[in-house]
Amino acid sequence: MFLGRVAGTVWSTVKWPETRGLKLLLVRPYRLGDLAPGVLKAGAEASEPTDDLVVCADTLDAGPGDDVLVAFGHAARVAVTEKLPPGTKPNVPIDAAVVAVVDRVEIDPEARG
Amino acid sequence: MIRGTILGEVWAARRSRGLDGRKLVLVAARDANGAATGRVVVAVDTLDARAGEDVTVAFGSGARNVLRPGAENRDLLCDAAVAAIVEGAG
Repeated sequence: MFLGRVAGTVWSTVKWPETRGLKLLLVRPYRLGDLAPGVLKAGAEASEPTDDLVVCADTLDAGPGDDVLVAFGHAARVAVTEKLPPGTKPNVPIDAAVVAVVDRVEIDPEARG
Repeated sequence: MIRGTILGEVWAARRSRGLDGRKLVLVAARDANGAATGRVVVAVDTLDARAGEDVTVAFGSGARNVLRPGAENRDLLCDAAVAAIVEGAG
């Protein structure tokens, strides 16, 4: 999973039927420099957002400006599937989903990445 | 898997059912030289890891095997989990 901020939404009409009704969000992952300024040496890493935006399915009604947790792969498909009978695999064609809307992040100032 | 340092904890009341009751930690990834790469991942923690501790984080089905080993764990919602608390690395 990663922590990110919702930057926008994505619409589409031509898509696989399994994804119908799923809201899609654009999420920008936080980097270490965003969360703990000064941890990285100057010049070692840009603290500006450099990561690609990730398109995520959302069933928790998150919106732009929210901080969210995003899961990848099988966990993402489990998150958007209502009921999963034992022994079956979710068949929705997604690989990233919002799994939590973050209230608070607690970072220990002593912890050095 | 990756090696990283626990930065702290994430709190979220609104979460997917599969994450209910799970402790979620922020982990800053380290490279081969031990320097922070800038990448931060969020992992489920069942080992009671504390801020500042070095850990390994497993992804994918490896992460699910941390929570419940075996073939019948595909219902679990977990793509990253703390697999070990690191005491040393060379």
